[in-house]
Amino acid sequence: MRGNAIHPPSDEELNVYIRTRYQLLGVDISVLPESDPDAPMDQERLLENGRSILRQEVVAADFDIDPQFNLPVPHPAPFVAWTEEVEQ
Amino acid sequence: MRPPQDTVISRRWFLERMAWITTAAAGADALVPRPLLGADRTREYLREIPASNNTLQQVSELTELTISETVDFLRRGVVSPEDLVRAHVDRIDRYDQFYRAYADRPSLDALLASNRSEQDGSYQPLKGVCLAPKDNFYTTDMLTEGGSLVFEGFQPHYDATAVASMRSAGGLIVGKAQMGNLAGGRAQVYGTTIPTTRNAWTPNHVNYSPGGSSSGTGTAVAARMAVAGLGTQTGGSVVGPGNAQGLTCIKPTFGRISLHGVIPLSYTRDHVGPMARNVMDAAILLQILAHPDPNDPRTRGLPPAPNYVGSAAPTLGLNTPVRWPTRVGVFPGWTDPNNEAVARMRGDFLRELESMGNVQLVGEITLPEQWEELTSQPLGGSHGDPTAFFIEPLRRDVRLFGDRLPRFLNGMLQSADTYVKVQQARMLLLRSIQTQLFNQCDVVLTEGSGAFDGTGMPVLCMPIGFDTDPSSGMSVPRGVNLAAPPFGEERLFAVAAAWQARTDYHTVRPEDPVG
Repeated sequence: MRGNAIHPPSDEELNVYIRTRYQLLGVDISVLPESDPDAPMDQERLLENGRSILRQEVVAADFDIDPQFNLPVPHPAPFVAWTEEVEQ
Repeated sequence: MRPPQDTVISRRWFLERMAWITTAAAGADALVPRPLLGADRTREYLREIPASNNTLQQVSELTELTISETVDFLRRGVVSPEDLVRAHVDRIDRYDQFYRAYADRPSLDALLASNRSEQDGSYQPLKGVCLAPKDNFYTTDMLTEGGSLVFEGFQPHYDATAVASMRSAGGLIVGKAQMGNLAGGRAQVYGTTIPTTRNAWTPNHVNYSPGGSSSGTGTAVAARMAVAGLGTQTGGSVVGPGNAQGLTCIKPTFGRISLHGVIPLSYTRDHVGPMARNVMDAAILLQILAHPDPNDPRTRGLPPAPNYVGSAAPTLGLNTPVRWPTRVGVFPGWTDPNNEAVARMRGDFLRELESMGNVQLVGEITLPEQWEELTSQPLGGSHGDPTAFFIEPLRRDVRLFGDRLPRFLNGMLQSADTYVKVQQARMLLLRSIQTQLFNQCDVVLTEGSGAFDGTGMPVLCMPIGFDTDPSSGMSVPRGVNLAAPPFGEERLFAVAAAWQARTDYHTVRPEDPVG
């Protein structure tokens, strides 16, 4: 549960975070047009998508899953075949 | 009769596997390849490719032939591999200016020389078969550009394992098929949103989508500019164009086909998928491609590939029975899409299916618990996956990624916590599907393939009828997706084989372009 002092960040705050993160990793998004619906991509759409991804972090964090019974598995289909074999 | 592989993962195989791992871990510096027990077995299965009912005189053009017909005609000596190559190259020369299915092609001379080269007496079931892999498969003799400016001019110095396997079996790569930008959407002019590849059923109407992202392979196969091809699927990219173009395609269980030498989108969700004109051809390709690859550990340690070719052969008997007793389930709402004609078609399909031997229709299934949360973003997705592979071009110029840029930057915003949680959720989803969905049925008809892509379960698509596209007025095919538990490919092939034994939707071909 989040404390009362924590408020969801605004779009502007997230935009600063996103730009900073890209800048830190050496990715320059300023070469894109600011806002141009006819361009394949523009900064406005990119930031909108980035904000959506960041807000989904909260959904993932809030999802309650038993860590003892649900190990992270990148390729589950083959893994389950093996474990079911053990149980037979 | 032996049960299909989805019901029995043999204990003997498991013990052999464990013994191999123990031995290798105890003494070897590096894991030695497992003995290729499957190679002889594969050859044996491929010899079961059935004889064609047609004679050469009944075939209007050599490009009409399927893989199984080609194999049979070559076996009978009524056509030569050279005839087949010339026929396909001629057709591509005439019509690809309309379809725009190919990104790069070898010369006719190179193809003929390749066709003449001997493989030291090795068995070559695909000798003379013209194939079209998507342009994200590495090829030594053609560029591999992934439909994107990111890979413009990229010339690999080795073949993808899947391509090498097809060549080794005698297959000829007649071209690299256009694809959606870095495996997303339909094929476009690189760096723009201007569409290129046409749907083979509407070659003069650019707005009707060929499906993506394996657009070019879908069109090349449907338009008879290749006998079959390879697509890749991370989120519906094989079955999408397959259904849009009346093809039969299989996205197999994760790991069944090597991904080595395929431009990755997601290391955890990418699959190679054969795209063909009927179920037998899809099974033949999978039979050839389903083997362990030392360069892709994801293919190692799986149960041996079973007899896919045998499972794709129709079974004789009353009411064209499915090879094994099979319960067929339907996703909620599947029979009631937002299209009257499609709804009618699906209803007819279910009635026909129910009249087939060995089929029990169980109706709408009850979805597993937490279905919505586990299959929607972020838990059902793969946001973070593409970024790591593409750091260098992202730093070079983000404009190279065109409209797909957000997908490739997402990994910079997704936390490790979320990435781990996505993988936990993926495992939970797989268990839920196995225990709460496939306890109700053996195969399920589903609108989308996302849940099965993320968990790595097999999905097959096949045509069930035709509908009129309102914008072009053209007749276009409609298909269905059938999903099965891990290693359920035989079961899917068996259902499709029975369906295609009593229907002819898969034999209808689009008309040639006008112009």
